[in-house]
Amino acid sequence: MSITSYNGSALVAMLGKNCFAIASDRRLGVNFQTIATDYQRIFEIHEKLYIGLSGLGTDVQTLYQRLKFRHKLYQLREERNMRPETFASLVSAMLYEKRFGPYFCEPIIAGLSEDNVPFICTTDLIGAKQYSSDFVVSGTASESLYGACESMYKPDLEPDDLFEVIAQALISSVDRDCISGWGGIVHIVTPDQVITKTLRGRMD
Amino acid sequence: MAMMMPPRMNPSDSASGPKQHQSWSPYDNNGGTCVAIAGSDYCVLAADTRMSTGFSILTRDYSKIFQISDQCALASSGFQADIRALQKNLDARHQTYQHQHNKQMSCPAMAQLLSNTLYYKRFFPYYAFNVLGGLDDQGKGCVYSYDAVGSYERVGYAAQGSGMQLIIPVLDNQLKSASPLVLPKRESATPLSESEAVDLVKDTFASAAERDIYTGDGVEIIVINAQGVQKHYMELKKD
Repeated sequence: MSITSYNGSALVAMLGKNCFAIASDRRLGVNFQTIATDYQRIFEIHEKLYIGLSGLGTDVQTLYQRLKFRHKLYQLREERNMRPETFASLVSAMLYEKRFGPYFCEPIIAGLSEDNVPFICTTDLIGAKQYSSDFVVSGTASESLYGACESMYKPDLEPDDLFEVIAQALISSVDRDCISGWGGIVHIVTPDQVITKTLRGRMD
Repeated sequence: MAMMMPPRMNPSDSASGPKQHQSWSPYDNNGGTCVAIAGSDYCVLAADTRMSTGFSILTRDYSKIFQISDQCALASSGFQADIRALQKNLDARHQTYQHQHNKQMSCPAMAQLLSNTLYYKRFFPYYAFNVLGGLDDQGKGCVYSYDAVGSYERVGYAAQGSGMQLIIPVLDNQLKSASPLVLPKRESATPLSESEAVDLVKDTFASAAERDIYTGDGVEIIVINAQGVQKHYMELKKD
């Protein structure tokens, strides 16, 4: 079994109309044994920028701490928040630094720009960036998520509708993956608020 | 120069037995996706028409659906040669059955026969992933889903093949029926109308063709109901 599927994960982000949604499952396991059902994989960098980290749990936490640190240094030096595009490049560069001994994480970066244009992006574990204009998925349930998102996603959804689509896509996908699931968490980020909801799915 | 060659360590080289090329395999994977949905009085069976090997497309119009009898059809993905052999085998067994019993085999009987046929080759399996669909003795839609060695189950809907992982969560979302373990036993057939089921199948194939390189070109859809068998075809992405 691959090290990227040691803990199990499911991550997805979608673009809406002047908003975005990012969602993940909440399971942390060791292969098929479930260790925790409230594991955090999505982190706030600032109020309009989120990162989701799929893959190996320990690398998720290390990478998040390093990214948080780099963003704080940026804030001190520049006296402003990072643009989502800039942050994506930072993530990509930090992953490529470890080209031959990588972090086993596939990040999803989602943010709103200064003038509230939504942005989503994913990279592989060595930092190859991939921008998207609809949705991005990552983790052990990625193939199911691709299928679900491909049939359920519509462009320019309002926040409420976007929540419904991303929640349905996540829940139906993790039910077909043994090592992700145990509920989910969804963040809907709009220009003036962040709505966070936890989902209850099948607990098995 | 021959002296420079590394010594050959394989003990079978010099002595007995015919040599075989190390990389040869009796199997290939030709890809493809099959989907089936059972309704109260119909069954929808669908498969894409692409046949591939590796990164190459061999043909864009190969039918993966095999009509065994008037109320029973088999959709298979996997290794084309094994699938053809399996189809010929089943067809021959069905011919014998018809001569002996003076009627066509029912779909549940065909399902058991298919399982036995697959398990007969348990240690050199047919590389075929099958979905059998049709009408049962009461005229209700039935779908049977198999693994390569004959483990099977009657289900309300099924997907098999290369695009299975993309399609299954969507079918779950739209059609999820009660668990077979729930008591009292509930109907496994889906509540959709026939045309709704055909549209759902078309949608799932359009989605699978976006992301699965082994699914595309076209989707062949067969509807079996009391009126007989109707065939539909929809173009898919060819890239």
